[in-house]
Amino acid sequence: MWTGPSVTLLGGPSKDGKWLSYVERGDLALRELATGRTVLVTKRPGGSKEFAYFSTISPDSRRIAYAWFNELGFYELRIADLDGGEPRTLYRNEEAGFVQPCAWSADGTQILTLLFRKDNISQIVMQPAAGGLPKVLKSLNWVYPKKMDLSPDGRWIVYDSFASENSGERTIYLLAVDGTTERRLISAPGDHLFPVWTPDGKSVVYASGTDVRILSMAGGKSQSVAENLGRVVPLGITRDGTYYYGLRTGGTDVFASEIDGGAQRPVSIRFPGRNSQPAWSPDGQWLAFLSRRGTETFGEETRVLVLRAAKGDEEREVAPKLARMEAPHWTPDGKSLLVRGTDRLGRDGLYRVDPETAAASRMAESPDACSSAAKAVICGTELRVGTERYQTTLEKPIEFAWAPQGGAILAGDGTRLVRIPLDHSAVQKIDTPPGVSIHPNGRTIAFTSGSTSSEVWSLKIP
Amino acid sequence: MTRAAVCALLVAASTRAQVPLGLDAYIPAPENNPLSSEKIALGRKLFFDKRLSRDGSIACATCHDPKLAFSDARPVAVGIAGRKGTRRSPRIANRAYGNSFFWDGRAATLEEQAGGPIANSLEMDLPVADAASRVGLTEQQLRQALASYVRTILSGDSPYDKFIVGDRSALNAPAQEGLKIFRGKGGCIACHLGPNLTDERFHNTGVGVGDEGRAKWSGRREDTAAFKTPSLRDVAAAPPYMHDGSLATLEDVVDHYNRGGRANPHLDPELHELRLSDGEKKALVAFLQSLTGTIHEGR
Repeated sequence: MWTGPSVTLLGGPSKDGKWLSYVERGDLALRELATGRTVLVTKRPGGSKEFAYFSTISPDSRRIAYAWFNELGFYELRIADLDGGEPRTLYRNEEAGFVQPCAWSADGTQILTLLFRKDNISQIVMQPAAGGLPKVLKSLNWVYPKKMDLSPDGRWIVYDSFASENSGERTIYLLAVDGTTERRLISAPGDHLFPVWTPDGKSVVYASGTDVRILSMAGGKSQSVAENLGRVVPLGITRDGTYYYGLRTGGTDVFASEIDGGAQRPVSIRFPGRNSQPAWSPDGQWLAFLSRRGTETFGEETRVLVLRAAKGDEEREVAPKLARMEAPHWTPDGKSLLVRGTDRLGRDGLYRVDPETAAASRMAESPDACSSAAKAVICGTELRVGTERYQTTLEKPIEFAWAPQGGAILAGDGTRLVRIPLDHSAVQKIDTPPGVSIHPNGRTIAFTSGSTSSEVWSLKIP
Repeated sequence: MTRAAVCALLVAASTRAQVPLGLDAYIPAPENNPLSSEKIALGRKLFFDKRLSRDGSIACATCHDPKLAFSDARPVAVGIAGRKGTRRSPRIANRAYGNSFFWDGRAATLEEQAGGPIANSLEMDLPVADAASRVGLTEQQLRQALASYVRTILSGDSPYDKFIVGDRSALNAPAQEGLKIFRGKGGCIACHLGPNLTDERFHNTGVGVGDEGRAKWSGRREDTAAFKTPSLRDVAAAPPYMHDGSLATLEDVVDHYNRGGRANPHLDPELHELRLSDGEKKALVAFLQSLTGTIHEGR
């Protein structure tokens, strides 16, 4: 239906199949599916830090509810007419730091919305479209549904959540809008998520791994609709039963090469096309990197750590219980990995990850990089070799290696490399791809290359 | 899920408890014991009925006094004939949202829990079947009615709840400062989170470590002297504190956690010295006081 750099998967189709909502450079936009014509619903002033995020169009295709990241730094729920006019704020509450409108009631009076609060619980709520306080139906500690939908009769919500407290797999739940009951719909193992109701309210369509399946509410049986589609991000179903979904395409990978050029070698054997942000261990025996897994988390894909042996084929996953991970690097003793991230209690910070057990513990601050073997120490932004001191020009150096030809030290901050001559001449920036890590041999680098994109597809639900 | 179950679910109808601000509209209840106004009313009567104790001297409400946030003022429970238990009577508001019951989590449902104090020789000391017989019910009817009533004991509408939904004036400045500490430097939110301010998990905080706690039921050494995180709702209304009632005031509790709990081989790794200033400790107490709300019951 749609490919290209403008595609985002943060909206959905109108029930009449005319429009697809999406985000165009931070503005909420509509794409006329038949013609490709684009209409901007919001118009951000130049330089604004505000932007639109998730959206859903009302059943009569006249209004759209959307998340808006406001000037104060949190998301609010807004509503706008498709044919113009000033947007209206429905719910603005700093405590509910993230909002995701998911579906409208058939009569257009209620909007099924996910709130993600500052205290790290998500809440399934019904937000009156006329404004006022949302009614909280169910709270979930730490976890959140990736998609929810409201049945055409307005009585039932389907949503996905973890199958059990210690499970990484998701499954589908049915929750009564009046709060009287809740039931797990799918007991079979597997990662079942992104449920949406069919227009007749008799079935639920959902993603299961790379497949799309349909569950009959009358029969309780699930059957395949389409298989091996790829990285599916369902968007919604129109009144005529056309199912719109996004596909994540392309990929990024970690490559190794020599610092002065030469062939680029992909590093990962088992997880090609999913990798980024490499970091060599201080002894050069391991390369750690992030690897994409699973599906969307607030519009981003989740990650694990992978350790790849420098020699041989060993490659293993390390999956700490962290909600988000960025910028892995090693402790100076090479015994642990450090990542910036967020734990499942929502606490941002620096985490030490045990590469053997995947246990993650929160740290007060990053230890200084040092190497007794190399007799060089980085403290803060300063490099010390013996009694000599050098400025690295890096904001936060995390690794370094002796230059093979001697006379200099190469230092990196996980993004770029510099050469620090020991004769105190000027620090030189080394021309490398971004996101580079240097092997302690001073010759080999690892870096991320590639890109991902999204496409919009449709299929007819039988 | 079977076809019959799905069809039954789609036509299911049951009574809904009235839910105060701050709590979920969805109140979990077992499929075989949906809420009904009849069972709630019966359970309420039973909750105050002293016939459920061997000598007719105490009722559930003796230790779970509605005037004291459904707890009492004693360090540990006191049963018939002045028999002393080993643990404090917990506050029971919002237990409808719980997923295990008693300080050590040994009961999986409120129905299972309901018989515990009745049969406990240090509490009401009467076989549950005998107690049921005394009031003309089967054991199952007794358990289901008591559980149904307890599910309607709901605490919300607190200043904290109003603040959470956007009323920035609902918490005074010290309480707002306390909330920041609760979520940040104090790290309280690691265990006390969600609408009910509990993770429903078990932690060793270095209190009453002579009690086996959760380990007796889980069989895991690391659960030694670990007890379930209590909800903090109405916490200011019902001292003393901790599972053994060993801390008299909220200030004592804050001091305890400020010291990082009490060292023992199974101390929860989340606990560490907090280095809160006197002002920060006062602010934290002010926040805890803001969790006192209105308790609805029997509706």
